Amino acid sequence: MSDPLLELDDVYKSYGEEQVLSGVSFEMDAGDVDVVIGPSGSGKSTMLRCVNRLTEINGGDIYLDGDCITDADTDVNELRKQVGMVFQDFNLFAHLTALGNVTLGLRKVRGMDKATAQEQGYEHLEQVGLLDQADSYPAELSGGQKQRVGIARALAMDPKLLLFDEPTSALDPELVGEVVEVMRDLAAEGITMLVVSHEMGFARSAASDIIFLDDGQIVEHGPPEQLFQNPQAARTGEFLSRLETAHEEE
Amino acid sequence: MGTPESTTSGRTLRARAAGLTDQPLTLLTVGVFWTWLVVRWTNDFLLDGALIERNTSFFPVGPFEAAASTLGALAASLGPVGFPVRWLAGFFEFLAASIPYLPQLATGVWATILLTVLGIALGFLIAVPLSVARVYGGSATRLLALGYTELFRGTPLLAQLFVLYFATPLTTIIRELPAVGAGFIPAQAFWVAVIAFMLNSAAYQSEYIRSALNSVPEGQLTAARAIGLSKVDGIRHVVLPQGLRYAIPGWSNELVYLIKYSSLASFITVRELFERTDAIASETYRYTELFVLAGLLYLALVISASLVMEYVEDRVAIPGLGTTSR
Ligand SMILES: Nc1ncnc2c1ncn2[C@@H]1O[C@H](COP(=O)(O)OP(=O)(O)O)[C@@H](O)[C@H]1O
Ligand SMILES: [Mg+2]
Repeated sequence: MSDPLLELDDVYKSYGEEQVLSGVSFEMDAGDVDVVIGPSGSGKSTMLRCVNRLTEINGGDIYLDGDCITDADTDVNELRKQVGMVFQDFNLFAHLTALGNVTLGLRKVRGMDKATAQEQGYEHLEQVGLLDQADSYPAELSGGQKQRVGIARALAMDPKLLLFDEPTSALDPELVGEVVEVMRDLAAEGITMLVVSHEMGFARSAASDIIFLDDGQIVEHGPPEQLFQNPQAARTGEFLSRLETAHEEE
Repeated sequence: MGTPESTTSGRTLRARAAGLTDQPLTLLTVGVFWTWLVVRWTNDFLLDGALIERNTSFFPVGPFEAAASTLGALAASLGPVGFPVRWLAGFFEFLAASIPYLPQLATGVWATILLTVLGIALGFLIAVPLSVARVYGGSATRLLALGYTELFRGTPLLAQLFVLYFATPLTTIIRELPAVGAGFIPAQAFWVAVIAFMLNSAAYQSEYIRSALNSVPEGQLTAARAIGLSKVDGIRHVVLPQGLRYAIPGWSNELVYLIKYSSLASFITVRELFERTDAIASETYRYTELFVLAGLLYLALVISASLVMEYVEDRVAIPGLGTTSR
């Protein structure tokens, strides 16, 4: 058995007095798509941010491809080249075109020359169906298009792992589909993804595992069929039924 | 969200607010002003007076004097209702009296422009790291930058000029440098003034840039860090390109202030526009004409600066970013 691609081992994180993650442990293999669900404030974003060290943990270890990345001597910039992130509110570089957003990392982090970077940039924009918007600025794009550029920007770094923090929750309902479709394509290509999302359609069809996080702890972790049809913990069932009600109200 | 946001260019808003700078008459006046300046400087500094002798105006005084006396006579013959004609005559008298001093004032304008442009440009080079230190520095760096800013904003510019000129060896050091004071390269007092304006305007510029940097959303740097850029590179490639665009309107104000504050350099004998005006006026006792004229020349400089900044703002405008989005 080879190492898991990502392993969280008893991770703790607190902000001052507030304990946000209390002993989170799980593993993902290369090619897995794990979907994290849980109530607001349960620590989902914090957990993702610990994986690319936008947030520093207080206890435990995180391993990427067998290497402990929470050591003091880990080069965080090197780590972040290998772990892409897609944000809830896109965070596209507002002064750059779609192509500029995708190529900035290639040029300034990977050190590619402009022509090579652009060539690759166009490929990634094509991958998310936005070749025709290469020269548009973020303000000229719809929310769905912005998020697809956000995905292309993360993909361009050729990461081992892609983190998604509620990629569709800032979108108008009619724009969610185009983003989910791109994420499905990536999942089908075998890209390893750790996705915080309550898009149940995506979770059911694309997830290898569902992780239910509540109050900084993993309450339940298992394949979607099991977790959705036959939740083991009472809290999981409650959360899922609340989620369903919320969806029906929309 | 959902549909692409409609965007207006930065200039549309600014022009609406300014009004003055997009008038054809303004453009014409500024055009004439600069043509005169450039021809004058070329003749005086580069061609050694080849077109016309130095200190001799391009414009003859005769016709204006003639017009003034004709109109004056006409006004007198009209009696009490002749006052508008009398004013017109006065205007021509003003022109006739001012024209002989234009060449010397043009030299003063050269020094004023050089002083302002060098002061603001060199100050900018200090202001950028200073403002970045204020926003992103550690507590020590932050405090240091704050101390600098408060020192230079909290004390009078004139005092700063005097300290640098009289109380430091700067003047002596600069005097010994080659080429200082030769031809159109100004003498040491000028360079002391440049240094003072650089240090002072760096403090003011850094305030404008600092608040502009603060208005760049935090997520921008987070996203930059997330693709593997270091903090410094993220600031350089993501935060500054946006922040500096936000800073343009405030920064333009600082430029306009500096054009006018540069007149303080006259106190340390720099032969800029205000000093020239004052010197000629005390020789000729034509205070009114000369200071009105100097005022008009400063105004022309200020309007020119606004035009340039509007052009720059327009050139670097990005849809959805900058003056319109705030
Ligand atoms: N930078 C921060 N400083 C202080 N508290 C924070 C910070 N980020 C998150 N928190 C707190 O941590 C808890 C978990 O937040 P988060 O990870 O964003 O939850 P989720 O993404 O599941 O909604 C919340 O109570 C939030 O207030
Ligand atoms: Mg969150």
